[in-house]
Amino acid sequence: MVIDNVLGALDVLANGHAFLLMAVGVAAGLIAGAIPGFTIAMAVVLTLPFTFNMPPHLGLATMVSVLVGGLSGGLMAGILTGIPGTPSSVATTFDGFPMARNGEPGLALGIGVWSSFCGGIISAVLLMTMAPQLAQIGLEFNPWGYFMLVIFALTITASLAGKNMVKGLIAGALGLLVRTVGEDEAAGMARFDFGSDGLLGGFDFIAVLIGLFAFSQLLNDVRDPEKAKKSLTQQSNMQVRIEHRRAIAEILKRWQIVIRSSLIGVFTGILPGAGGSIANILAYDQAKKASKYPEKFGTGIPDGIIAPESSNNAVEGGALIILMALGIPGDVTAAIMLGALLMHDVVPGPTFITDEPVLAYSIFISFFIATFMMIGLQSIMLKVFVRVTKVPMYVLASIILGFCGIGVFALQNVTFDLWTLLWFGILGFTMRHFGFPLAPMILGVVLGNIAELNLARALAINSDLTPFFTRPWSLFFMIVAGFSALFPLFQGHRVKEKFWTLFYLPAACFAVSLPLFMMGGIPRTVLAMVLIAYGAYQLWRRRQNGWRFEAKENTP
Amino acid sequence: MERFNRDSVIAIALLLFCGVLFWSSFDIRTPNYGVLSPATWPRVVIGVIIFLSLIYLAQSLRGDPETETLEKSDREPGFRGWIKYWRNPLWCFALFFAYLSLLPVLGMLIDGILFVYVLMGVLGGWDGKKPLVHGFIAVIAIGSMWSLFTFGLDVMLPPGMFMGHF
Repeated sequence: MVIDNVLGALDVLANGHAFLLMAVGVAAGLIAGAIPGFTIAMAVVLTLPFTFNMPPHLGLATMVSVLVGGLSGGLMAGILTGIPGTPSSVATTFDGFPMARNGEPGLALGIGVWSSFCGGIISAVLLMTMAPQLAQIGLEFNPWGYFMLVIFALTITASLAGKNMVKGLIAGALGLLVRTVGEDEAAGMARFDFGSDGLLGGFDFIAVLIGLFAFSQLLNDVRDPEKAKKSLTQQSNMQVRIEHRRAIAEILKRWQIVIRSSLIGVFTGILPGAGGSIANILAYDQAKKASKYPEKFGTGIPDGIIAPESSNNAVEGGALIILMALGIPGDVTAAIMLGALLMHDVVPGPTFITDEPVLAYSIFISFFIATFMMIGLQSIMLKVFVRVTKVPMYVLASIILGFCGIGVFALQNVTFDLWTLLWFGILGFTMRHFGFPLAPMILGVVLGNIAELNLARALAINSDLTPFFTRPWSLFFMIVAGFSALFPLFQGHRVKEKFWTLFYLPAACFAVSLPLFMMGGIPRTVLAMVLIAYGAYQLWRRRQNGWRFEAKENTP
Repeated sequence: MERFNRDSVIAIALLLFCGVLFWSSFDIRTPNYGVLSPATWPRVVIGVIIFLSLIYLAQSLRGDPETETLEKSDREPGFRGWIKYWRNPLWCFALFFAYLSLLPVLGMLIDGILFVYVLMGVLGGWDGKKPLVHGFIAVIAIGSMWSLFTFGLDVMLPPGMFMGHF
């Protein structure tokens, strides 16, 4: 069955047209990822209009290619200029740039490229194996569970805003509100149209995404008039040759770091809202803690490049696992991928892989192929990157703003979408300035309809609200959402050694075990018992320690 | 103190915005079928935003460190300083507004080229050979993208009053 699906996907992808589109996608992603200020999400969202007229498998393969290219592109800027191309390659600069300055830029790039490749392949394998399994679990969800899953995704994304938790939650709720404008899907009644035909049709959410993310980012990039006129580098002679053989040898010597960092990346990607920007720092930190020579980190050692680069490429595999299995995007780029699927009338969810096996496997296979293409194209695009770095930011921003206009209009041939782009560009820019995170809002926009439809379905089955508390999956997500909402408060109070924080982790373990018991079956009951035992052990340790955290636990 | 005021103003603006939307949610017609009224979900979301905005307002009034998140601004005081600081984004907004307003007249190709050309001039300056270089870049960039969508992807982009005759 799996072989049939893989062959089916290869049948639609193994042709010159698809390969050409994917190669262009990877190349574009590499360059977009390499330019500081241009995020991967921006590159992926700007690719959307081009894929509108393509068959779904080709469109999605192109977008996956941009994504894979973007994930690997950030390392070029980070290593050669010390300025990370994307937030997901921040940690790469810690050792990549010093290594390049020590006279080995070719080796640093090689290690980065091949680590990205390994991370991508490991996550692609996990994507292919885990997504169908997770989808089986997803089939157990009912409308109550699904509704609470959306709420959980929004809460955890907002909680990742850290100190700005309230702003994150407001942003997420605003995203939900944006999707209520226009005719509602269930009854077809007009909402918040204020007599405007444009508003009656609702905001096209791709235009909203491009406005919120790309438009506002470009304005941010040109905000400083002096910086806008400068190019990324003034170096006239930046010729580097990637040292593939030495890099592979260095990576093979440190295979444990590759595996560990890739797994960190995949599981960070699975967590809604957490993306490469968190994974690369986490992986770097773990590599440093596990190292026999932590003092050498930051001086230009291979370990410090391998860890972040393996993890940030593995993130998208994780994000796609949760997207394809449950229809919930793991991060902003996955949210845009969800938008692309919806644009092609494909609704991802637990039945997606079984209903659309060729399309689902074409996403898996394109992830693989794009990762291989990335290796081949990195050397070529390095030369292009060197040229692009000489172009001032204002030129790039002006051209891309022009492209945004054409691209957004092309989505539906509706001028109102261009106005949507402008208003949401202004909104996104203002929100950035006032410290509101955009990721929860984007997730809110993407998930708004899913939440409302599932709420309507749940209430149509049973108008009573108690199933939200009595259905195991609904209760599970409600508890996890509650604890993730409290997490920033817990972090803040733990530093101040507030008494209640001693009970946060044990209480979370006990609470989560309840719905697991309710689900029944041996594995989940065992898992619930393990959680209870772990919670009890944590309580016992704190009691032994005189109701205080141990010194080791207090270190961040 | 400035940050404190700014957060409070945003919270109050959010509350007012929610008030307007909540009021207009009573204009949403309720059909005599279905359990969930079309107005229920928006009202729930508005209610959540109101609740969160009140917390945000309380935090800002208390001057919690959590609300003090805005970056240190290096701009000069007063309206002129504000305009100077936000000059580029304001130009971008204004030019995009003009671009959209002129779209039915000039069409996507001419309007797009003009928009990119003027924007590059405004952001990068008009000195030396720049006008010529900017013009070349604008024509090539927008021209190629317009051609790709029109001929490659068969998308009907607005021709405008001039191009519409051809």
